[in-house]
Amino acid sequence: MNDSQHLSSQFDEDLSRLRTHVLQMGGLVETQVSGAIDAYTTGEVASVKSIVETDRKVNELEKAIDDDCAHIIAKRQPAASDLRLVLGISKIVTDLERAGDEAKKIAKGVRRIYEAGHMPSQYGVGIRHLAEAALAMVRQALDAFARMDGERALAVIRADNDVDVEFKSIIRQLITHMMEDPRTITTSIEIISIARAIERIGDHAKNISEQVIFVVEGRDIRHNKEAIK
Amino acid sequence: MNAQILRAILLAAASAAVAFPLGYFYQAWAGWTLFCVGLAIQMGFHFRNFARLDQWSKQPVVDATLEGEGAWDGIFGRLYRHEKDLRAQIAERDAEIAMLIAAGQALNDGVVLLDQQGNILFCNTMAEGQLGLEVAVDRGQPIVNLVRLPEFVSYLNGGGFAKPLTMRSDRKAERVLSVYVIPYAGNRRLLQIKDVTQADRLDRMRRDFVANVSHELRTPLTVLAGFLETLQEYDFDKDEQHRYLDMMAEQSKRMQSIVQDLLTLSSIESAPPPENIAIDMAGLIDKLRRDAEALSAGRHTIEVDADPHLDLRGAEPELVSAFGNLVANAVRYTPAGGTVRIVWRSAPQGVEFAVEDTGIGIEAKHIPRLTERFYRVDRGRSRDAGGTGLGLAIVKHTLNRHQGDLHITSTPGVGSRFAARFPGSRSLAV
Repeated sequence: MNDSQHLSSQFDEDLSRLRTHVLQMGGLVETQVSGAIDAYTTGEVASVKSIVETDRKVNELEKAIDDDCAHIIAKRQPAASDLRLVLGISKIVTDLERAGDEAKKIAKGVRRIYEAGHMPSQYGVGIRHLAEAALAMVRQALDAFARMDGERALAVIRADNDVDVEFKSIIRQLITHMMEDPRTITTSIEIISIARAIERIGDHAKNISEQVIFVVEGRDIRHNKEAIK
Repeated sequence: MNAQILRAILLAAASAAVAFPLGYFYQAWAGWTLFCVGLAIQMGFHFRNFARLDQWSKQPVVDATLEGEGAWDGIFGRLYRHEKDLRAQIAERDAEIAMLIAAGQALNDGVVLLDQQGNILFCNTMAEGQLGLEVAVDRGQPIVNLVRLPEFVSYLNGGGFAKPLTMRSDRKAERVLSVYVIPYAGNRRLLQIKDVTQADRLDRMRRDFVANVSHELRTPLTVLAGFLETLQEYDFDKDEQHRYLDMMAEQSKRMQSIVQDLLTLSSIESAPPPENIAIDMAGLIDKLRRDAEALSAGRHTIEVDADPHLDLRGAEPELVSAFGNLVANAVRYTPAGGTVRIVWRSAPQGVEFAVEDTGIGIEAKHIPRLTERFYRVDRGRSRDAGGTGLGLAIVKHTLNRHQGDLHITSTPGVGSRFAARFPGSRSLAV
């Protein structure tokens, strides 16, 4: 009796450490995204380097966490909600890592624009707004995961629609721009890929939230429009 | 307790004393029956009290008094008093804890208490706002799960808490927080979080100011030194020399005006409150219009919309130069063909002197910093236009001395409006 209790508290500790590691990785991705937004608005191209370097740390954390997940499944054979947590985590880290990649793409795009001597911020208000919405989604998805809060996760999934709508309107605006003045095409294409990356970050935040709901409530709401209403 | 045992023995002996003669003189079974009945009555009495205690112990309440009979009375009384004392003590402790928590809530800084593992034990409302925590759901959660900024995490795990950590709040990007970690009671930690946004801005302004003063003075000085060297080393004819000397004079005039503006600023800052003399606004505005027309040289339309029955109280020379500065700025930053309007009228709360133009406008992000010393929206252009970078700082200080404010609204490409508003006590009807 005493022995099994000891084992289970050790197991709880393992799980809570795993969760903290995931959230640390999330913290790194959050700084990447906010750093990319800053680079976009201020033109401080110097920060691009640190965003790229953070990406390396994110990748390492992803591998380490995946490894921990495999170890826990093999050694402890978790069941029910514990198993859902471990499975959910291994999917969440994939989405986090991809969101970090998108942030890196934004940063590099910003650097290319500035190096070509253009100012992306003149198209800026819309993009900035979009990026802040996406960053807020990532932040809330991670908060929902930390607090194991299904309601909040659902709110993030709903917010993704707004981001998608805004993304489409930015694309339309850029197309008008390009038709009016073909000289802006090079920059506009860069900006479209930046907007695309931001929209993808929002999608990853949505996926994370779906996993949170799976972990908390045990229901899989992916590709299920009814469930989010 | 002896008395109670004695009483039980005496009662048993009494029933024996009654039963024995009956058994001896009548029938033995009658004696035994009587003796047993006597004992049974005693037992029944004890069981009743025992049942009462049993009932009470399942739900010890102090409002229903616990009363025993006979030997049980003393025991019940002591138990009851003990329970009551305990409850009073708990209530007292609760009140003390509530008071401590209220004190923690009343602090101006954010406070978070962490246990040995870094889990949140307590945090006050201030800290909730600063870090985006919700104490009701987050108690017992590792703080690094919610405050995920990498620099915060590595600071907290690092252990060297001699210097506070200064970080940008990840919930409100504009706020700058300073985090102090204070170890207490073994391995527990207390976080004290100060909002240093204001101090951070002042610090940046001070640094910028020193850098800017040096830069602004160095540029003309470099030009001067260059010409001097050239003149020393080479021989030039009279015309050439004159040209160079003119340029040098221009640069030294520029330095002079910067130093003059700096002196004006510091004298305004340290001067006593301005006098309270009525100023003839009609004359003043007429002079401003003539100056504007001279500066514009016919390139702009200058309009005036002034209330002739309104005057202002204050120090005339200071206000003339402040208003003149606003008008000159409008003329300088409005392309040829534009309009500059001078407005003087009563406003909702007092009076307002405003200059509106149809110029290039200012982006919203620059507006809060315009009155900082040497702040420039576009470095090249404003120096070409001949400004020292101190004009609006002087205007702002002058207005503040007259309890006034500078309100700037602007749309890039459309125009700007600089309004100096004064309280009603400074106005005067004529």
